[in-house]
Amino acid sequence: MVQNSSVHIVAPEMAIEFFKGIMPFDSLDDATLDRLARNCRVDFYPQGTRLLTTGETDITHLYLIQRGGVKAFIEDELGEETLKDFRGVGAYIGALGIIRGTPANLNIETVEDTFCFLLPKEIFLELVEQHPSFAHYYLKSFSEKVVSTAYNQLRRHKVSKRSGDDLYLFSVHVGELVKKLHTISSKASIQQAASSMTRNCVGSLLVYEPDDRENIVGIITDTDFRRKVVAKGLDYDLPVSEIMSGPVERVLSQSLCFDALLQMMSASIHHLAVERRGRIIGVVTSHDIMLIQGHSPYYLFKEIRGQHEAEGLYALAKKIPDVIRGLIKEGAKAGNITQMIAILNDHILERLLTLLEEELGPPPVAYCWLFLGSEGRREQTFKTDQDNAILYADPANSEEKKAAEVYFREFSEKAIDHLVNCGYPLCPGEIMATNPRWCQPLAVWKDYFSRWIDSPDPGELLNATIFFDFRSGYGDSNLAQSLRSHLNEKATKKDVFLFHLARQCVSIRIPLSFFKNFIVNKDGEHKNRLDIKHQGLTPFVNFARILALKHGISETNTLARLKELLASELISHEMWSTATDAYELQMQQRLIHQLRQIEEGKQPDNHINPEELSDLERRMLKEAFAVIERLYTFLDQMYPVP
Amino acid sequence: MWDLFCPERWFAKTDPLLQTNRDSFVGFDQTRPLTEYTFVVCDTELTGLNKKKDELISIGAVIIRDLQIDLSSIFHRFVRPQNMDPTRATLVHRITPKQLASAEPIESVLPEFVEYISGSLLVGHHLPLDMYFLNKAARQVMNGTLSNPGVDTMRMAQGYKRVQLGYYHEHNPRQISYSLEDLAREYSLPGFKSHDAMEDALQTAYLFLFLIKKFRKGGLVTLKDIFQAGRVGSFRYR
Repeated sequence: MVQNSSVHIVAPEMAIEFFKGIMPFDSLDDATLDRLARNCRVDFYPQGTRLLTTGETDITHLYLIQRGGVKAFIEDELGEETLKDFRGVGAYIGALGIIRGTPANLNIETVEDTFCFLLPKEIFLELVEQHPSFAHYYLKSFSEKVVSTAYNQLRRHKVSKRSGDDLYLFSVHVGELVKKLHTISSKASIQQAASSMTRNCVGSLLVYEPDDRENIVGIITDTDFRRKVVAKGLDYDLPVSEIMSGPVERVLSQSLCFDALLQMMSASIHHLAVERRGRIIGVVTSHDIMLIQGHSPYYLFKEIRGQHEAEGLYALAKKIPDVIRGLIKEGAKAGNITQMIAILNDHILERLLTLLEEELGPPPVAYCWLFLGSEGRREQTFKTDQDNAILYADPANSEEKKAAEVYFREFSEKAIDHLVNCGYPLCPGEIMATNPRWCQPLAVWKDYFSRWIDSPDPGELLNATIFFDFRSGYGDSNLAQSLRSHLNEKATKKDVFLFHLARQCVSIRIPLSFFKNFIVNKDGEHKNRLDIKHQGLTPFVNFARILALKHGISETNTLARLKELLASELISHEMWSTATDAYELQMQQRLIHQLRQIEEGKQPDNHINPEELSDLERRMLKEAFAVIERLYTFLDQMYPVP
Repeated sequence: MWDLFCPERWFAKTDPLLQTNRDSFVGFDQTRPLTEYTFVVCDTELTGLNKKKDELISIGAVIIRDLQIDLSSIFHRFVRPQNMDPTRATLVHRITPKQLASAEPIESVLPEFVEYISGSLLVGHHLPLDMYFLNKAARQVMNGTLSNPGVDTMRMAQGYKRVQLGYYHEHNPRQISYSLEDLAREYSLPGFKSHDAMEDALQTAYLFLFLIKKFRKGGLVTLKDIFQAGRVGSFRYR
């Protein structure tokens, strides 16, 4: 037919408008959107229609919800449903299956009358191919789902299925668990408080300033009555302000239970005040969360804290991988998982050293157990070599010095022995508290750092980097703090030292060839494999460390360092988000890899075979590696080769 | 070929496009599953509602295959009216007089449309009105009429309403609006701008999809089921 001005072939405006309103389509140019809209189909699914069936449906197009909503769920052999997700207007269905070329990984059913745009698989894949931001969006939004899918695949063969309550830590918000608010004036007597708690059947009360009910200043719990009143024979007529703990740790009502639990565990408390729009609306307790969560890290945490024999900790420490496996399955992000590992390891150590102090008697001088390297950065995964040291207060005289040396030698030997039995392998480089070199008073430690900074010997510096990531693991953290201040003060002024660190950092080759192919090991035990830790993650860690040292940032965690650099406007927002995404992605890949190895009964390592990754995972990994180049450019400009 | 040398027959003869379309409905089978039919949902805009004087000024249509709206199949044409009254069109429609003046005449638009709908069922909201003007034009410029079976979404909606309310016997509940806009709102369908042939055709397509799938969920799986059970109106035009 004749084409002329009356011929009016355009994509329906409504489809274009729809795409413009949802991510990541909103970033596409008009011509592309027009083409997309013209290649769509629209379908309608009455309420209760099954769209996808796990493991069966081959996905031929991406579904984008225009109107209505669906639920995503899995079903076990007995037909029991576990709800995974609700998706509404603007959400997508099927992206993961298309990208990975696998059948549906979830059952999808409409919960309302639902209209969807259907985008053919070929066109969707083309978009993913041509628009890096596109691939990025999907990978990011289901990086969690990728993990759980990987895990589901494993689970089908290896692990027996747990009950359907797995998801609660990540789907229930604190606000949903909060109970009615019970408060009392800080002037009320201890007895009045106890009777109010008994009357209301609650285990805690929030305490407010006498003239301002909104002003919550503390909390009293059942334990306070036992520990502070009865055990000490306190007068019941004293005001509750005598026994309350304050200020109260708060959590936002929209926080996930997981976050609340993390907060409780890191502060070793059981109650959090729940805040909504700036007001305290009630209390949430660890017990409340435990009730909804059958198998949780919290149980392990509690058992560790209740343990009275060092030997009893061995079995508990070995349960950590199980707990972590559960978290990965529930869809936790890599950053959260490593944080949880760190907290659990910290508690094992704390318990162990507390028991050791009871056994050996109190130490002659204050000390601080230091975590170094990845433990210092709270970035351990399943495989964690011991990297630790002891820092003790400067002895007042030679007698005290002798006593400290004797005490800490025995103390560290026993501690390291217990840790090995708990499943933390010895450090091959002997960087452990048992090494007399790394069991020293503050003055000596300060000297060590001064020497590394003032007259850096590149060879020695290479081995010393893990010391710069130290943090206090147990004991007197003031010691660690004064060492950190010393380090910050020295490092910020010494460009030559930072220069050497920067040169060292950029000397690690980016594992991508000129043609953007992976550079893998050519031979040996790990032939055709990538060392994701050394080649992929380490450059990010190094980058964050150098900038943190340069700017006197005390944080040791890589993501936290980057965040602080952003907050102080030392790196751009764009750089921060690119680096953070790339780093988290690799951490995630590493965790999945190690989890898979554990499932197969192998020792976890860091050697990934790119052949075993899906197309998208490979592409994302390449992009993550490409970010390293930008970090290097940044360092090169800051510390140019003379 | 010989027709070319025989002007009388040339003028009298039904346009081959119409003939082909007619042939495709010989022995039309209503008992196949709904997904096997191709539907063309269409809407027309007119210069007015006077059946004698008024004429088509735009046609909008979209195809439904496998019971899915195929957005690659959009058909939207303006038609230059024979009696052009530049002030009227702009009153109701979103068409500027300039757009109309530069549009093709019905002689070239209609054959295009006939080819587009050939072999498909027609769907429209209050379809008889659109069909009246399409056939009027077809008689004028193509010496024939459209043979496509039609489905009227207004009557489908009335049938659905009867099922919903349980008034199987009462023919048509009163005080219920069956305008396209009101139905779209009632069933919370994605909305479109009204008084544009293309937008209205899309709106009708959504309504059709909604209703036919609701019917199907109720167990009506063939075209015949739909025609019978809902008494939604099966009609042929000659």
